[in-house]
Amino acid sequence: MREFSVGGDGLTIVNGVVTLVFVNPAAAPSVNLEFLRLWCSQQGSAVSAQQRVEVETQVTGFPTLVSATPRKLKFGDPAASTISGGTAGAAGTSGINASAEGAGGKTVMFGDNFNVLNGYLWVATPRETIVMPAGSASGLGLFLPAAAPSLTNWAVGANFGEI
Amino acid sequence: MADFRFDDQLLVGYIQGKRYERENKTENDVEIPPAFLITDSDGAAWTFGPQYAVHNSEFEFSVMRNDVDTGEVAKRIVYKKGVVWIFGSYGWKGFSRSRRHFI
Repeated sequence: MREFSVGGDGLTIVNGVVTLVFVNPAAAPSVNLEFLRLWCSQQGSAVSAQQRVEVETQVTGFPTLVSATPRKLKFGDPAASTISGGTAGAAGTSGINASAEGAGGKTVMFGDNFNVLNGYLWVATPRETIVMPAGSASGLGLFLPAAAPSLTNWAVGANFGEI
Repeated sequence: MADFRFDDQLLVGYIQGKRYERENKTENDVEIPPAFLITDSDGAAWTFGPQYAVHNSEFEFSVMRNDVDTGEVAKRIVYKKGVVWIFGSYGWKGFSRSRRHFI
């Protein structure tokens, strides 16, 4: 039971498509990542508006991100995550709030839409969890494929387990 | 420190220590997931917490109100006709008018 949470809040995102959170598994041999939860919300606007969102994978070149270090969900866990904060989206790193999307191809796993007043939360049943194996050529991201109506005070995050 | 407005008409709630301001309560039938939060008529912000249990091969997450764990777990949180409802292996429970527990 080794679960971690990576994300951030109070973010000002770019006025365009943007990767909100991106986690890239470490090079093999290492642990695989099982994604349990992804979310985003905002408090910059009190106006109802619909927003597209996608869960996608991306191969190199990866987005340029703000470094975000995974935090332990089990405080008694003696070891930190194998994933560390990084700005380049490279293998074994995680980051948030991309300033550039990178040239790497994105593959949409699934898309959805949400009202910005309600935010977006994806949780899986156990059989629906997304597993990104160590040594994978791609990382997993939560992505806004269209500019958000309000850019300020976003909160984003992902919870994952190491298996 | 981020600016915030002093407005007694605003509904103000908290999730993960973050202040969420809304002009209106959440619309009828909004459901977590896929919504991330529900704002009730008190302004309280509801969402799932970090704890979970597996029941009948489905996750049930802790139910948080303004960052306070209600002691309940649920697969769904639904706002319906002004009442916050939770659904889990026990069936449906509604948040009491006393704002203290689920019935």
